[in-house]
Amino acid sequence: MLVLAVSAPNGQTDLAAGRVTGRVKLTTKIPGKPLPSTAYPRRTIGDHHPSALPEIRNVVVYIKDALHKGPLPTSRNELLQEHETFIPRTLAITRGSVVSFPNGDPFFHNVFSLSRAGNFNLGRYQRGQTREREFTKAGIVKVYCDIHSHMSATILVFDHPYFTIPDLEGAFELPALPTGEYTIVGWHERVGERSMRIRVEAERPTSVELVVPVPVGDEYE
Amino acid sequence: MIRRRTPPRLLVKTLTVAFVTVAALLGVVFIVVILSMRNQVRDAVVSNLESTQRLFAAVETRRQQDVRSRAETLADNPTLKAALDTYQSEVQDDATASRADLLETIDLVLENVAARVDSDAIVLVDLHHIALGAAGPMANRWPRSRPVSLVANRTAAGPSGADSFDGVARMGDNLFRVVTVPLLLGDTLIGGLYVATSLDQDYAQELDQLARTRIAIVSDGLVVATTLSPRAALQFESAVAVTQPVDGVIPLDGESHAFRRLVAVGNTVFYALGSVDESSRQAMRDAMRNLALIGMFGISLAGVGSFWLAQTLSDPIKRLSTSLATMAASHDVSSRLPLTGSSLELDTLTETFNALMASVGEAEAETQAAYTGAIRALATALDARDPYTAGHSDRVSVLAVAICRQLNLPAGEIEVVRLGALLHDIGKIGVPDDVLRKPGALSAAEFDIIKQHPTVGARMLRSVPFLSPHIPIVELHHERPDGGGYPNGLRGDDIPLGARIVHVADAYDAMTSARAYRNARPPAEALQELWRCAGTGFHAEIVAALANALPGVTSEPPQGGASRG
Repeated sequence: MLVLAVSAPNGQTDLAAGRVTGRVKLTTKIPGKPLPSTAYPRRTIGDHHPSALPEIRNVVVYIKDALHKGPLPTSRNELLQEHETFIPRTLAITRGSVVSFPNGDPFFHNVFSLSRAGNFNLGRYQRGQTREREFTKAGIVKVYCDIHSHMSATILVFDHPYFTIPDLEGAFELPALPTGEYTIVGWHERVGERSMRIRVEAERPTSVELVVPVPVGDEYE
Repeated sequence: MIRRRTPPRLLVKTLTVAFVTVAALLGVVFIVVILSMRNQVRDAVVSNLESTQRLFAAVETRRQQDVRSRAETLADNPTLKAALDTYQSEVQDDATASRADLLETIDLVLENVAARVDSDAIVLVDLHHIALGAAGPMANRWPRSRPVSLVANRTAAGPSGADSFDGVARMGDNLFRVVTVPLLLGDTLIGGLYVATSLDQDYAQELDQLARTRIAIVSDGLVVATTLSPRAALQFESAVAVTQPVDGVIPLDGESHAFRRLVAVGNTVFYALGSVDESSRQAMRDAMRNLALIGMFGISLAGVGSFWLAQTLSDPIKRLSTSLATMAASHDVSSRLPLTGSSLELDTLTETFNALMASVGEAEAETQAAYTGAIRALATALDARDPYTAGHSDRVSVLAVAICRQLNLPAGEIEVVRLGALLHDIGKIGVPDDVLRKPGALSAAEFDIIKQHPTVGARMLRSVPFLSPHIPIVELHHERPDGGGYPNGLRGDDIPLGARIVHVADAYDAMTSARAYRNARPPAEALQELWRCAGTGFHAEIVAALANALPGVTSEPPQGGASRG
């Protein structure tokens, strides 16, 4: 379910570019879809600690139809493997960025992917070692460990810089965008995209509220 | 005309009775065995099916657990999960995206997985139970993108959770038994994995060998696979498929079958069947063989037993009847039958018979005594007709017995001689008194009359059967060794011993008795006279015997007083 609210921006004018700010809300209502079960045992080797990061940090907000001209800023990122978990679960990067996968557990891990945007296998390596990869194709890259089948993470690779991950309260602000009409998306690995149309104006920032139907632990917001 | 039939021999009777008894006994046993065996065999078949069912249920539970744990291991395959998860991530928001390469990834992974198990098909489904891919020998029955309708009534209540279940799915012509396990990524359900086993003839065959009974798999009122004959399968289908009872007994293809539900999965039921008739045939054959052995043994035993019984009964009887026949042939009433000792009844019979014979002997003796007494009275009366011959017959008898003793004759012969001597002159009853008492010499005609008395006496005795032994004595006591005697003029050894003895005794007594025409001669003189005629008128050995016997004779008091000769 998607709730869209465009509030009136205040102040700040910018030529040919506008700010987009907003808030992401997680809810539990997912009509027509089975709820994920928590009844299954965890077949893990060692202690299994779910990610300490709250679920809101697994949401990515981005402009779906943004075009970017010129060189794309790249970054170096880290996807730590610790407690049989990828930390963070969700990573958003620009095309050409590099992600390293250090092993923080006292046993071997592996990183592989079958995704079209990045089909690779970094092999198995022990604690303290790391492997890295440059992601040169935009799209969704699901990464797994072939030793621990319950481990997975998602890397969203974008052709543009107009994306972000909300803070713990769900607030976000996208980089300044050229004015115009866009589709803004709130993405979560379990529900995919929840989108809405927005209009970006130079005179005032656009404020957006995105509702993503994802349960959070046992408590639902 | 009624012919009197010869009654059967005792042996035949006992043998017949023994055989008939044994045969009747065997017949009753046979019928009882036949009747009870069918029920027992049916119970045995049913109980066999019951234990088969228990065993099968245990084995099947174990097997399903194995399949499930294998499936769970397969479902934990990271690559499989990665392929499914990647596929779902990428098509989640883009229904038009090209899925071919993603699905090919899934198929490759599934092929790898399927190669590790011997299931008929491994199927990967999404959260809506739509097949995304399948691998294994029967993968082509599971087309992609087709929703799988799974009939399951049994939720695995194990640690695997609510979405693991055991069910049956019909895909095309094939019915599959399906074990499903969820695919989890972390805590998130991303799909399911089906491990499918085709419920076909091979499967039924496998169960048949495992359970050692006929197997029929019934689903939705139809027999989908069975090891029964096609005809029996049709009958079973119409009889059982609708109600699907737990167990029972029905006729299939002419034979009574017991059946029992092994396990039910969804709307599909596995039945084990056993033919009661087939089992009872085998049991019946065994029983018949044993009965035949027992019967042969019993009949032999009965034969031997009845033969022995008949022998014990008939042998003594045969001995008794032989003795009786001998006794009857010899008119011997004095002999006694020996006790057989074989049975109380026979001995009682023998004793009674002996007692009877004793009384018969006594009666006969009395009769003889009466006859003898009467004849003696006659002889005495005869003697008394002439005072000179009074007591003659008694004396001759005593003398003759004395001679017999000298000759060591047996008692029986002595008895014959004694009575014969007593009767020897009985024929004189026909001699007129004037001839008999004539004091002077007899004329030739008178002597002829006298000479007829032996013949007359013999004729008289012939009318009394028990006196026949004495006839020769009476008839021939006037024959002489030189042939000069009467009535037949016999010579020497042709004259019977008894007659010879009485002849000598008669002559001696006549000489030592007084007659009207002469005095009695002294014994020595008489003996002298006898000796003189020995060999001609008398037999010498008899005269010798008399001589030896005389001292005893002469010691007796003289009879008839003074001698007149």
